[in-house]
Amino acid sequence: MAGLSFSPLIRGQFSAIARVRWQLFVNSLRTIRGRMEVVARGFMFLGFGMGAIVGSIGLGATAWYFVSSARVDWLPVLLWPVFLFWQLFPVMASAFTENVDSSNLLRFPLTFRSYFLIRIAYGSLDPSTAMGSLWLLGMAIGIAWASPALFLTAAPVLLLFAIFNILLARMLFTWVERWLAQRRSREILGVFFLFVVISFQFIGPLVRHFGNRSQPALSHFVVQALPIERLLPPGVAAQAIAHSLRGEYALALGSFALLCAYALAVLWLLNLRLRAQYRGENLSEAVARTIGPAAKQQIRLGWNIPGVPGPVSAVLEKEIHYLSRSGPTLFTLVMPVVVLLIFRFSPGKTDSAGGLLGHASDLAFPIGAAYTLLILTNLVYNSLGADAAGIQFYFVSPVRFREILMGKNLTHTLVLAVEMLLVWAGASLLYRPPPGEILLTTFTGVFFALVVNLTAGNLLSVYTPKKVDLAALGRQRASQVTALVSLGIQAAVLGLCALAILLARAYHHIWLAAINFVALAAIAIVIYFLVLNRIDAIVLRRREVMIAELCRA
Amino acid sequence: MSTSATIAPPAISTEHLTRRFGELVAVQDVNLHVAPGQFFGFLGPNGAGKSTTIKMLTGLLAPSSGRMQILGIDLAQDSVEVKRQIGVVPEGMALFGRLTGSEYLNFVGRMYGLDRTTAAKRTAELLDFMQLVDQPQALVTDYSHGMQKKLALAAAVIHGPKILFLDEPFEGVDAIASNTLKSMLQNMIARGATIFLTSHVLEIVERLCSHVAIIHRGQLVAQGSLEELRAGVEAQAAAALTAAGAPHEIGASAPAPGEKLTLEQIFLRIVGGTRRADQELSWLG
Repeated sequence: MAGLSFSPLIRGQFSAIARVRWQLFVNSLRTIRGRMEVVARGFMFLGFGMGAIVGSIGLGATAWYFVSSARVDWLPVLLWPVFLFWQLFPVMASAFTENVDSSNLLRFPLTFRSYFLIRIAYGSLDPSTAMGSLWLLGMAIGIAWASPALFLTAAPVLLLFAIFNILLARMLFTWVERWLAQRRSREILGVFFLFVVISFQFIGPLVRHFGNRSQPALSHFVVQALPIERLLPPGVAAQAIAHSLRGEYALALGSFALLCAYALAVLWLLNLRLRAQYRGENLSEAVARTIGPAAKQQIRLGWNIPGVPGPVSAVLEKEIHYLSRSGPTLFTLVMPVVVLLIFRFSPGKTDSAGGLLGHASDLAFPIGAAYTLLILTNLVYNSLGADAAGIQFYFVSPVRFREILMGKNLTHTLVLAVEMLLVWAGASLLYRPPPGEILLTTFTGVFFALVVNLTAGNLLSVYTPKKVDLAALGRQRASQVTALVSLGIQAAVLGLCALAILLARAYHHIWLAAINFVALAAIAIVIYFLVLNRIDAIVLRRREVMIAELCRA
Repeated sequence: MSTSATIAPPAISTEHLTRRFGELVAVQDVNLHVAPGQFFGFLGPNGAGKSTTIKMLTGLLAPSSGRMQILGIDLAQDSVEVKRQIGVVPEGMALFGRLTGSEYLNFVGRMYGLDRTTAAKRTAELLDFMQLVDQPQALVTDYSHGMQKKLALAAAVIHGPKILFLDEPFEGVDAIASNTLKSMLQNMIARGATIFLTSHVLEIVERLCSHVAIIHRGQLVAQGSLEELRAGVEAQAAAALTAAGAPHEIGASAPAPGEKLTLEQIFLRIVGGTRRADQELSWLG
C-alpha cells in the first residue's frame, strides 16, 4: 500500500490545514455574530440530519417494497432524486455564496496529489454528500432486507454510485468555482440559478393547470426518453441491480463497467480542472491595457433633473447605475409580476379559469403593489450598504447626508413607480384592469406606506448599516435589528391600512380609504422631513460605526 | 496698512488634538502647524497614529478633544465649508466599485458642486492625464490596485482643492504613474495648494516634501523643515558624542563622512528604530 502512504511533509500539511480550519472556527466564536452563525448552523444541521434520517428510512422502505414486489425496474425512481439532489444542491448553494480561493493553498509547497486529495476532502463533509450517502445506505439496507443475496451485488453498485456522485459533485464544483472566480460570470451564473429556482415555482401550477387534459405527447416523450435514461448513471446503477436480481450477471457486469467508465471520465475531468488550478491559472478580471492608441473617450454629461439640486441628481444617477448593473436586484424587482403569473396559473378552490385570484381579480393589483413595496424595503432599509467603502467619500464631500438620502429615496420612489406600472400592466393583462377606486386606494395606500418605510429606512440605514454586494446573492441578510424593526413597521402599516379600509367599508365607500391614506401620508411626510432634518446630526454621531461596518473587508 | 490683513491663516493647524479608543490613546496632544503652500510629509511607524490624525483632519473621525482648523475654519463649526476646500484620498480610497471610471469622476465632480459641463470636461482631462481611458466601460471594481489609486487621486483633485490629504498615495502605483502623480502634485504646490501626505516610502517624501512631522506612539516627536530636522538630529548626536567621549552606536543610520543625513536616517534616529539584524534570525540564508 505504498501508493496510499504519505510523507511526513504531506501529513504535516494535512494536519496544518485541519488545524487552521479549526482555529478559524474557534476565532469566529469571538464575536456575537460568529456565535449566532454557529447557532444558525446548528439548526441547519438538525434540519439536514432529519432530512437524512427520514429520507434514508423512506428510500430504504421503498427499495424494500420494489425488490420484494418484483418491481426492481422502478429503482431509477429512487436513484434519480438522490443523484439530482447530490449534484444540484452544492452547485446552487455555491452560486449564492463566496468561495474559498484555492490559490491560497497553492502558495505552499503542496504536491499535486496532496492538492487533489485536499480538494476532494474539502467537499466530502458537505450536507449533500452526507445526506446522499445515508440515503444510499438506507436503500442498500432495504434491498438487503428484501433479498439478502442481492445485497452482495447491490452494495458495490451503490458504493460505486456514491463514489461517482462525490467525484461528479467535486468536478462540477471546480468548474462552477472557475466561473464564480470572475465577477461577471458570477453574476450571470447567479441570475441563471435564480431563474432555475423561480422556474421550480411554476412546476406545480403548470402540472395542475395541464393535469386534467389528455397527454399523449407527454406519454410519447416518456417512452422516447426511457432508453436514454437507462444509459445515464442513475439508470445504469439501477440496471446493474435489476440484472443481478434476474440472474443476468453478464449484463449486470456490463452496467457496472459502464458506471465505472462514468466515474473514470468524471475523475479525468476533475483532474484536468485541478491540474489547471495547480499550474496557477490566472482568473484575474483586472482591466487589460489596450494595445495601440487609446480611443478618445466620450464623456456624457451628468443627469439634469429639473427642480432637483445637482448633488441629489448625482446620487440618483449613481443609484440607477448601481441598480442597472445588479442582476440579482433587477431580478428581485420583477418578482411581483412573477408572483402574479404564479397566482394566475395556480388553480383556485373551484378551479376557476382565473387561477388563485379568479374570484377576487380586483385584488391582483393591490397584492402586487404591496409585494413590490415589501421587496423594495430590502434596498430602503439598508440604503448605504451597497456603497461599502464609498461611504467615506460621503463623509469627506461637502454634501449633507440629508441630500444624499434624498437622492436615494428619490431613486427608490422612482423604482416603485416603474414597478407599480409593471404590476398594473401585469394585473390588467392577466386578470382585468383594476377599477378606478381600487386603483386610487392602492396608490394612496402605497404612497403612505412608502413614506413610512423611507423614514424608517433612513434611520435604519444610519443606525444598523450592513455592507452588501448588489452583484452577489445570499448571505447578505440585513442586521437582526433591521429585520425586527422592519417586521414591526410592516405590522403597524398593515394595521393602519386595514383600519382605513374597514372604516371606508363601514360607510360603503371604498374611496373613503383613499382619503384616510392621504391624511396618514400627510402625517408621515411631516415625520419624514423631521427625521431628514436631524439626519446629519445623527450621522455625525454614528460615523465611526458606519465607516467601520461598511468598510469591513 | 494693517499687517493682520495680509497674514494668511495656516492651511492646517491643530491644538492638543487627542483621540482615544477606550483605554488606548491613539493620538495625544498633537499640535500641528502647516503653512499654505507647503508639501507636508506626515511620517510615523506602523500604528503611530498617522491614519487616525488624517481621518480626524478630514472629518472621518471625531477627535476626543482638541481643536482643528483648516484654512482658518474650525472643522467642528463648519465642516461643509472645510470639505469644499479640501481633497482627500483616504486609506480605503472611498471608491464606488460599480461605476465606470468616468461615471465615478462625473459623480464626484457634481457632489463637489461643479456644473455638468465642467464635471464632464474635467473628467475627460483627468482620465486622459491618469492614463485611464483604455477601458471606458470597465467598472472600478475590475480596475487593478494601481488604477484604483490613480482614480482616487483624480477624484480628490477634480474640484481644484486648496489642500490635498493623501494617505499612502504611491502604494501599489507603478513607476510611470508614480512619476505622473509626482509631477501633478508638484504643479499643485507651484500654484499655491497645500499637500498633506503620509507615506512609508521615505525617499519619495524626502524628494517631494519641504516640511515633515513625525508621530510616534501617538505623540508628535518632530516637526519642521527637512533642514531643521536634520540640524536637530545632528546637534543631538554631537551632544551625545561629547558626553560619551566615543562614537555613539548609530548602526545603519550613520551617514558617510561628508554626506548629509537622509530622511530615513533622521527618521530612524528620532523614532529609535534600529534593529539588531546582526543578532537575530541567524538561520536566514
